[in-house]
Amino acid sequence: MRRNLWLYRRCLGAQLRATLEYEGDFWIMSVAALLTQGMGIVFLWAIFRAIPQINGWRFWDVVLIYSLVALTEGIAVLLAQGAWSMAVTVNLGGLDTILVRPYSPLLQVLSSQIGMNGLGNLALGGSLFVAALLHVGVAWSPGRIATAAFVLAFAPLVKIGLNVLTNCSAFWLKTPWSMFPFAFHTLGELARYPISIYGVVVRVILSVVLPYAFMSYFPATAVLSLGSSSWLGVLTPVAAVWCLLLGRWAFRRGLLRYESAGS
Amino acid sequence: MTAAVTLPSAPPRRTPTVRQTLRAYRAMGRAAFRSLVAYQTSFLFGLLATTLAAVAMLYLWRSVLAAGRVNGFDWPAMKAYLLVAFVAGSLVSSYVDYRMAGRIQQGDVAMDLVRPVDYQRSRLAEALGFGGYELGTGLVVAAAAAALFGGVPAPAHRSLGAFAVSAVLVLPLRFGIVYISALVVFWTRNYVGVQSARIALITLFSGSLVPLSFFPGWLQGLAAALPFAGMASTPALLYIGRLTGADAWRDVGVQAAWTVGLWWLGRAMWRGASRQLTVHGG
Repeated sequence: MRRNLWLYRRCLGAQLRATLEYEGDFWIMSVAALLTQGMGIVFLWAIFRAIPQINGWRFWDVVLIYSLVALTEGIAVLLAQGAWSMAVTVNLGGLDTILVRPYSPLLQVLSSQIGMNGLGNLALGGSLFVAALLHVGVAWSPGRIATAAFVLAFAPLVKIGLNVLTNCSAFWLKTPWSMFPFAFHTLGELARYPISIYGVVVRVILSVVLPYAFMSYFPATAVLSLGSSSWLGVLTPVAAVWCLLLGRWAFRRGLLRYESAGS
Repeated sequence: MTAAVTLPSAPPRRTPTVRQTLRAYRAMGRAAFRSLVAYQTSFLFGLLATTLAAVAMLYLWRSVLAAGRVNGFDWPAMKAYLLVAFVAGSLVSSYVDYRMAGRIQQGDVAMDLVRPVDYQRSRLAEALGFGGYELGTGLVVAAAAAALFGGVPAPAHRSLGAFAVSAVLVLPLRFGIVYISALVVFWTRNYVGVQSARIALITLFSGSLVPLSFFPGWLQGLAAALPFAGMASTPALLYIGRLTGADAWRDVGVQAAWTVGLWWLGRAMWRGASRQLTVHGG
């Protein structure tokens, strides 16, 4: 375990140094991340100018959910962006190199990239998160603070697990593009809003089938004690472990199918 | 031993006739259409992603408008507005700039420089080829979404003519922006960042998620000064009949002016960009 963590940090560190060579790219990607997330906030703000609340959720409550998606995305992109390289790695036979090294192939894949938009997402998500916490108007008892810290620590792992799971489609589709997992990534962005606005089918998908709602909506309900099922938010760690296990299972099944690239 | 090499005498260079040029562009458009159909799985997953985003918007607005009219929009009109914006947004969906940026980054664009056809017009021909498929699939998805959400009203009679003109202008206008953002890659050599910044700007200022009239005055003024409104807001407002009479034709005129203006801006940028080109290796 300790060796794994140490190696993971070393791999990411190497990627970070490689990435920082391209300083211009870093700034472009950060500005793009700020624009993309900022656009979403302006959109919410424009709607809430016209109406006070949606299904009982006020502006800052929704901002809290939204900021959790941005934070989660930032963390996933900084720590496990390698999941998105799976399509190319599998398509070009790049797993050959990985499989002969004495270190977990999945962890090697995950640490093989660092997304440069990560810091932009973290910066904006973090500021929105703090601003939202200052405005939501809940009483901060020690119990609530402990719940919040506990639940929010696990939320990013939900996204990382689901990223691995959906990107493992590369073993079956064998195309060098990540369009299939990207479609699910967009599905995950539905969790930016209170999921009570959706129909039953969408709600079941987001909370059970591919529980993206556990990276933002359910943790937020637990922190705010809002909605009819705020106790569900406490299950975030369970959802996180479940998603990571699913991801690992899919990766192992995929490895059994992997047949290199020929040539 | 040396062999005398006789080069075939080069035919006298002449400019191709208009018909030959048009045939070349048609062929490029057809090739683009076919390449999209050949790799349609990937395209359809991409479409699924934008569809999910559109469905999220429909649900969100249904909740917003559940209590009644907001800013003059009721739920049926808003459904129609969002779906028209969705179909408009499905045109020129990143295929044109993805290819251009790839060729610029790899240096393959050098080959495009020596071809006896205009670079910008060739890309437009491809955009039209892709557009045929994008429009077809976009309409199917919009029809399915409309059915799922209980139907949408037919286009308003009063502004039907202006709507038709505006709808035709959407593709060349979007092409103008996409072309320019792809040329930016000559300077930045980064594509993903430029593309996502462009998408963010278009999404917000075209009014494809929230009608521009929901913005405060200063932001509406900014949106009016930018070229993006014609990419969703103008055709969508014409469809639901919120823009009529002289106002309708004024906005369509602005849309047309931006279409022409961006085309010429793109031409000027291309002249500067091709001097900027670095091709590695040999």
